[in-house]
Amino acid sequence: MNFSGLDWTVLVTTLVCIILYGVYKGRSSKKNLEGYFLSDRQMPWWVVLLSIMGTQASAVTFLTAPGQAYSDGMRFVQYYFGLPIAMVIVAFAFVPVFRRLKIFTAYEYLEQRFDVKTRLLTSSLFMLSRGLSTGISILAPSLVLHSMMGWDITITNLVMGGVLMIYTATGGAKAVGYTQQLQFVIIYVAMILAAIWAVKMLPEGVSFTDALHIGGKSGKLNVITTGVTEEGNFDWKDRFNIWSGIIGGLFLALSYFGTDQSQVGRYLTARTEGESKLGLLMNGLVKVPLQFFILLIGVLVFSFYQFYKAPAFFNLALEERVKQTEYASEYNGVVAEYNALQEDKRQTTIELAKALNNDDDQTINALRDKIQSQDKATHQSRKKVEAIVKKAVPGADSNDTNYVFVRFVGDFFPDGLVGLIIAIIFLAAWGSVAAALNSLASCTMVDFHKRLSKKELSPEKEYQWSRYYTLFWGIFCIVVAQFAYNLGTSLIEAVNILGSWFYGAILGIFLVAFYLKHVKGHAVFAAAVITEGVVIWVYNLDKFSWLWLNVVGAVGVVLFSLIIQAMIPAIKKAVKN
Amino acid sequence: MQIKQDNKAEEKVPLFPKWSWWYWLVIGFLGLQILLFYFFTKHFA
Repeated sequence: MNFSGLDWTVLVTTLVCIILYGVYKGRSSKKNLEGYFLSDRQMPWWVVLLSIMGTQASAVTFLTAPGQAYSDGMRFVQYYFGLPIAMVIVAFAFVPVFRRLKIFTAYEYLEQRFDVKTRLLTSSLFMLSRGLSTGISILAPSLVLHSMMGWDITITNLVMGGVLMIYTATGGAKAVGYTQQLQFVIIYVAMILAAIWAVKMLPEGVSFTDALHIGGKSGKLNVITTGVTEEGNFDWKDRFNIWSGIIGGLFLALSYFGTDQSQVGRYLTARTEGESKLGLLMNGLVKVPLQFFILLIGVLVFSFYQFYKAPAFFNLALEERVKQTEYASEYNGVVAEYNALQEDKRQTTIELAKALNNDDDQTINALRDKIQSQDKATHQSRKKVEAIVKKAVPGADSNDTNYVFVRFVGDFFPDGLVGLIIAIIFLAAWGSVAAALNSLASCTMVDFHKRLSKKELSPEKEYQWSRYYTLFWGIFCIVVAQFAYNLGTSLIEAVNILGSWFYGAILGIFLVAFYLKHVKGHAVFAAAVITEGVVIWVYNLDKFSWLWLNVVGAVGVVLFSLIIQAMIPAIKKAVKN
Repeated sequence: MQIKQDNKAEEKVPLFPKWSWWYWLVIGFLGLQILLFYFFTKHFA
């Protein structure tokens, strides 16, 4: 893929500017724990908002979301429907408690409420899940470079994680927050430019509204879906529908924003309790529209490809590898079949565009059915391609969702804009990874080192240790990125599945802490351990979408805590006798 | 273990008289978006 000198200039300049800005901003933090992990609690609400958003939106968000809309439509946006409700609950119930206690990590509160073992268990669960998922977040931009430029994945992972650590380890939370602010502006300016360019490239006579109609008639503007099958049953395995989005998404977002230190650490940096709340509530207002916009770009890419030849498989590097194997002729045969189907669909789309211009409803309705059946046929053909890729290169990720947008950008965008889009993928990755490393270091330092060490450390020593822990976690995540390379599923789901294994249980512990005052540490600890086993068992049943695991985890901890707490007097009596 | 308590005075809620107004705004806006997305899906299908 062509990556011009201008692209390199834009990419390198953008990344160097961010690093320098991060180092510059981070240098004024006080050299103690409060300065390093909480920016001296001096951040205004808009920096908190952009930091919260920058932490949540990893490179995976910008890589996969348009690809997801291309292949599965816009229904993925429903996954975010629980988020605004969660923002209200976090602002109402969690923020006042965390702010009043002036804590560094969310898990400090659990020691005061329960005991040290519950604090350490919860902090460990967070570090395990966040450490693993951050490794995947480092891998995402590396995969892009690997596919586009054929760069070695190991070296790219190392460079990506190492460069990021320059400002994260030196500048702490202040560097993280301010770079996220700048990153956010660059990312959304670039995405707006990408959307404008995608519309501009549509054939003459095809407007933005026509492109939406083409996407809609092909079933890609399925923003609201109910998850009810044709037989009238609710499909529990359906990943994205309004119910899994509102209920499952609420539990996931509540766990993420209320109990995940990478987010708690962002809003604890605010100047006041009100500014913490405002940052969260504004996130509740803007998150769904922004996600809708990113998915809409995927639909525009889909509509564009209805007029031009769409690749049967979007991962360039892997496609080349398949062509070097004994399956090359089989692969070429299926690609030829796919191209023929695409050509038929292209003719139907041209007819549809004409009918749309003439407001010919009868023809539009007839063509809609035709185009949907043709879309199903091309989809099946793409599945055959994926199956051959799987056979030809065992262990490789045959899911090319993450490559759709990048391939489109590389093939059709002008010099300079390609570099900018690649830069925003790095920036998005750095935003979430930087916050994660900062939060992982804060838990290691505050929940473990400081809590368990018998030796009193000076503020300078604590600051120094915090920097070492940031470096340690950076290296750990790079190692995870290496192992995650052959995960074999869409990255965005892998990240969320990992989170869903632990998030629900952690949320359950906090809900018990806030609302079930009679439940004590032993009961909630045992309940969390039992629930974790139940969550993994339910996951292995393979009967529910992963979003429901959050509900199982949170409800499980609450129920088991109540049961075990009720049983404790009887157990004590039995032990006594 | 002792955790420090923050005893700052109540701060003023921005724009509205109470935080509950903000909460209803966020929930109401979500409801409006779902409604608009429903009509969006119907219209373009």
